[in-house]
Amino acid sequence: MEVKRHTIKLVVNNKPDVLARIAGVFSARGFNIESISANVTMDPNVTKIRIVTMGDTSTVTKIQNQLKKLVDVLSVSHVRESKQGQREMILMQVKLTDKNRNDVMKAIDELQCKIVTRKSDYCILEATGSEEELEILVQRFDSLGIEDLSRSGVVAL
Amino acid sequence: MKKSGAEILLEALSDSGVDTIFGYPGANTLPIHDGLRSGPIRHYLMRHEQAAAHAADGYARATGKVGVCLATSGPGATNLVTGIATAYMDSSPIIALTGQVTTTLLGSDAFQETDIIGITLPITKHSFLVRDVRDMKSTIQEAFKLTTCSRPGPVLVDLPRNVLASSCPAGEERTYQSTPKVSNGIGDKDDQLHKIARALNQAERPVIIIGGGVKLSNACREITDLIEKGRIPFVNTMMGVGSVHAANGYNLGFIGTHGFELSNRVVHQADFILAIGTRFSDRSTSNVDAFAPLATIAQIDIDPTSVGKNIKTDLPLIGDIRKTLKKLIPLVETPDRIEWLSRIKKEQETTEKRNCYKGCGEPGRFIGMVQEAMPEETTAVTDVGLNQIWAVRSWLPKTPRSLLTSGGMGTMGFSVPAAIGAKIGVPEREVVAFSGDGGFFMNIQELATISYYNIPVKIIVFNNSHLGMIRQIQDLFYDSRLSSCELGNHADIVAIAKGFGLQAERVAVEKPEEGIDKMAASKGPFLLEVMVDPENYVYPIIPPGRSNMEMIFGRSD
Ligand SMILES: Cc1ncc(C[n+]2csc(CCOP(=O)(O)OP(=O)(O)O)c2C)c(N)n1
Repeated sequence: MEVKRHTIKLVVNNKPDVLARIAGVFSARGFNIESISANVTMDPNVTKIRIVTMGDTSTVTKIQNQLKKLVDVLSVSHVRESKQGQREMILMQVKLTDKNRNDVMKAIDELQCKIVTRKSDYCILEATGSEEELEILVQRFDSLGIEDLSRSGVVAL
Repeated sequence: MKKSGAEILLEALSDSGVDTIFGYPGANTLPIHDGLRSGPIRHYLMRHEQAAAHAADGYARATGKVGVCLATSGPGATNLVTGIATAYMDSSPIIALTGQVTTTLLGSDAFQETDIIGITLPITKHSFLVRDVRDMKSTIQEAFKLTTCSRPGPVLVDLPRNVLASSCPAGEERTYQSTPKVSNGIGDKDDQLHKIARALNQAERPVIIIGGGVKLSNACREITDLIEKGRIPFVNTMMGVGSVHAANGYNLGFIGTHGFELSNRVVHQADFILAIGTRFSDRSTSNVDAFAPLATIAQIDIDPTSVGKNIKTDLPLIGDIRKTLKKLIPLVETPDRIEWLSRIKKEQETTEKRNCYKGCGEPGRFIGMVQEAMPEETTAVTDVGLNQIWAVRSWLPKTPRSLLTSGGMGTMGFSVPAAIGAKIGVPEREVVAFSGDGGFFMNIQELATISYYNIPVKIIVFNNSHLGMIRQIQDLFYDSRLSSCELGNHADIVAIAKGFGLQAERVAVEKPEEGIDKMAASKGPFLLEVMVDPENYVYPIIPPGRSNMEMIFGRSD
């Protein structure tokens, strides 16, 4: 069975234990959650959650069915592979030395990153893009010296 | 007028039709026990919370109504866990009420605080923590709706002590807040129904597999009509046993790892299977890859997660079983099926010769004698182990709720407390619990409940001085290297039962007449200890990982 990346979008009641219930459906099958993001919607009683997981399509379908059965899950959908509606944000702390300073600035310029903070020996950068775009970004800065990074997980419509 | 949370709770339970609670008190449930003194609900004080959950489960299985159990926070709540899981696995509608520490202490590791909602997440359909007394009534109403709707299952309601004790002015109760679910379309059901009917009509060797869902959806009449109209042989899963009168001519018995030779063989030959209310659990299919290799499989179930869960189905239909069958019956033809039915008949003659007393030996004969001696409308409750297989094979249920067994979870210790619940739920029916000696010891304390309330259940303990089923597996599949399966005979079960205040007798399984007669004649609770040879196993049996066709008929196989 082919293991692929799947993005699942859920609309749920905004209740304290809803995330634990959702996580339980994944962990019961030994599935890892690659990334997760959650935020409130226009309706304060309702939260939108996006989960990226790796798995074969048939098991992911079973997980979706199980998620649908949770009382506080209002809807479940599989986000199709089309990338237009999927973005992610990244924050990176990049080392600054006399040697790399110019290359870092060039990369910031070329990859259209935003500088959040700049100190004498490091800077914090912000960027958004598709997962693939951010991968390229990480690779480029990794060679220049990433000290720390954090990604938001995929946000999708 | 102001009412306390506990009063509102008891009123809401009463309004939902609850007349019985099985429970055990603790500091955090005392407001409820206080309210129980005067109300219409009867509380049975069990001797262990696990037994309270099993009793609520037994009550639900016997009556079709919701069973309710109650335990305090901390150890009381955790003691319920096995019972809740047992109900969950067999889709039994129970409500577990647990006391909880005061809301301000939640999460502080307070005395007797456990996160029981967290602990039971995977074994409940849903759970609620009532943080505000104004939500008490609507939460209980919602819990009742959820436990019975669609596929039934346990719902837990966690009740902090201060919420139970605080009062709610009349008119300030809040309604349950929930945004409606978006229902995804599941295709054209009528079209699928016609396809299933066509496949069934065209099949040469059709078989119906009846799961526990048929009873749960009260479709026993409809399934019987379908079988008789279409002249379709049927098998049961362990949970399906009893849906159709055992003496129905199309009944081939239950399938699976511990099932009958005949039923397993027939399923293997079938060209079309209509599976109703079953998830094809591994106990029914054994090695799933070799299950029913020739058959097109249609599956009807209310729960979308049960369809195609364990086996790929060609014609899935998600819907209420009863309603679906009502629509299906008029579409089904009545062929003569001479060839298929006579082939099965021949098969039946050979397999019956090979497996005397249904492969159970003396205990099989004994169970038949017990059923003869007891009134027609007697409910059997089984424990787990060889005794369960003996009972499910040999007890012939004539009505749907007359054989209760822990199928999905296989919980030893289930039979005695579940029998208590069954008897209290349907007092006019006799109840017989069948247990092994191992399982009997697991909830032996409930003999005290039985004698305290004088609950006239009959308990049959098969004493083979071993964990019999473990012994059989070690004997057959571990080259007779027996380990940790001997219980011995150092405890005098009859004397113990008498010590608890029950009448009791001991008989040998080969010569049980006198004991059975005394039991059948007794008006009160009665225990019959039945001495059985430890090597009296069940055959055929399917080795772990093998298919339903790789049956073993004895040690030499
Ligand atoms: C609570 C629990 N613990 C362990 C098991 C595993 N188990 C299944 S059958 C069995 C043996 C049962 O022995 P006994 O109750 O004496 O019944 P018998 O098989 O002899 O009829 C055991 C230990 C179980 N099903 N449930």
